[in-house]
Amino acid sequence: MSSTGAPVALVTGGAGGIGRAIAARMAVAGHTVVVGDLEADAVRATAEETAGAHGVVLDVADPGSRRAAVAACEDLGGIDVLVNCAGVLRDARLAKLDPGLFRRLQDVNLLGPLALTRLAAAGMAARGRGAVVNLASRAWLGTFGSTAYSTAKGGLVGATRSLALELGPHGITVNALAPGFVDTAMTDGLPPEIRRRTLAAIPVGRAGRPEDVADAVAYLAGASYVTGQVLPVCGGRSVADPYAA
Amino acid sequence: MTGVLDDRRDLVAGVLGEGSLVPAVRAALDSITPGLARAFCVVPAVPDPAPLTDLDDGRLDREVGDALAATLAHVQQAAATFAGGGRLVVVLPHAPLLGTTRGAAASAVTNGVLSMARTLALELARDRVTVNVLAVDADAPSVRALAAELEALLGDAGADVTGQEISLTAGAGLGRLRP
Ligand SMILES: NC(=O)c1ccc[n+]([C@@H]2O[C@H](COP(=O)([O-])OP(=O)(O)OC[C@H]3O[C@@H](n4cnc5c(N)ncnc54)[C@H](O)[C@@H]3O)[C@@H](O)[C@H]2O)c1
Repeated sequence: MSSTGAPVALVTGGAGGIGRAIAARMAVAGHTVVVGDLEADAVRATAEETAGAHGVVLDVADPGSRRAAVAACEDLGGIDVLVNCAGVLRDARLAKLDPGLFRRLQDVNLLGPLALTRLAAAGMAARGRGAVVNLASRAWLGTFGSTAYSTAKGGLVGATRSLALELGPHGITVNALAPGFVDTAMTDGLPPEIRRRTLAAIPVGRAGRPEDVADAVAYLAGASYVTGQVLPVCGGRSVADPYAA
Repeated sequence: MTGVLDDRRDLVAGVLGEGSLVPAVRAALDSITPGLARAFCVVPAVPDPAPLTDLDDGRLDREVGDALAATLAHVQQAAATFAGGGRLVVVLPHAPLLGTTRGAAASAVTNGVLSMARTLALELARDRVTVNVLAVDADAPSVRALAAELEALLGDAGADVTGQEISLTAGAGLGRLRP
């Protein structure tokens, strides 16, 4: 809780497509937002456009950087809501998947979020309340060519379940979101044919918007009776045939 | 036991991995006659229970990062032998798949591997490789049930089964939402 009485929300990857929308949405919901991301300029710009927000340069794969970001949030009163949104996506089929690339995706998409959760949960437990929202992905259900990414996101879903069981008695909820196809820099480079087929497989007939995900994050951040869940935000693709088109 | 090809079976059914379930999988394989030329069981090492407070950066790196990397290496090793088709069966402990208190690291590994298997089932289908997951009670694995499932998955009819997750736990976990 910050000195203004507003709960503090750290949004990692907060300068990215979905992260920016989450920062804005959490600010509207009355949080003091801390935008954490790799590039100082992008962090500053996002913090400036987000009401009452602070910025911190953060590499979620770097232990020292994680500790510094959490310490910066402690100065504001401590993290009430941790949104693990930083992520990287690189596809490679199994035979061509380089172990270094695989490890990098685990570091950013899985180990970083777990390490940050450990750091943030200590303060949350001491205050007897808190929420962790993990940005997983519909890829947790399996996605052609996405072994490294889906492994990391599946790991995050699994950890979410166990952490919910462990941290629930301390007043902390832990949930995951599984976005489908959302229009951001991450999905910009998709070849046109794959993009067409992906859109055709989405029952609501459109790509997701970052705001679609941000609304769901704000809901989970405030839902004290919901924990250990994975909420797909994918326009229904997870119940459709993702490869029908 | 790292990356050992089970030469007793002359590559008929190899076991790759360092998980505590390796002996049960070997015992199950020893009791059946898989009808296929290329099949591997991958049995990942899964971290012991630990509270979140104990999962420092080094432990996360070793117990989660290294375990997932080792599983990738085993799966790549197996897939490299699958010219013309093959069968991959991943054997995982059931409890951390569903979630346990003090199970964050184990759940990260088991569910990471589960999603890896789902992706590989999609990806390798065109190469006539099936990928399935068997979830067993790590404390008292039913070798009998493992053997029966492996015989089915590694036999002729197993060609029609891929991307499935089968719990061999006599109903433990029923009523819980699955990951
Ligand atoms: N866009 C989609 O379709 C989609 C679908 C499913 C899940 N997701 C997930 O949503 C999250 C946000 O994705 P996005 O679409 O906004 O992507 P994006 O590329 O627009 O944003 C990702 C942000 O994460 C930051 N980042 C990357 N590595 C980092 C690190 N080591 N430390 C700190 N920050 C780091 C980047 O700088 C970037 O600002 C990711 O976790 C992604 O996996 C996205």
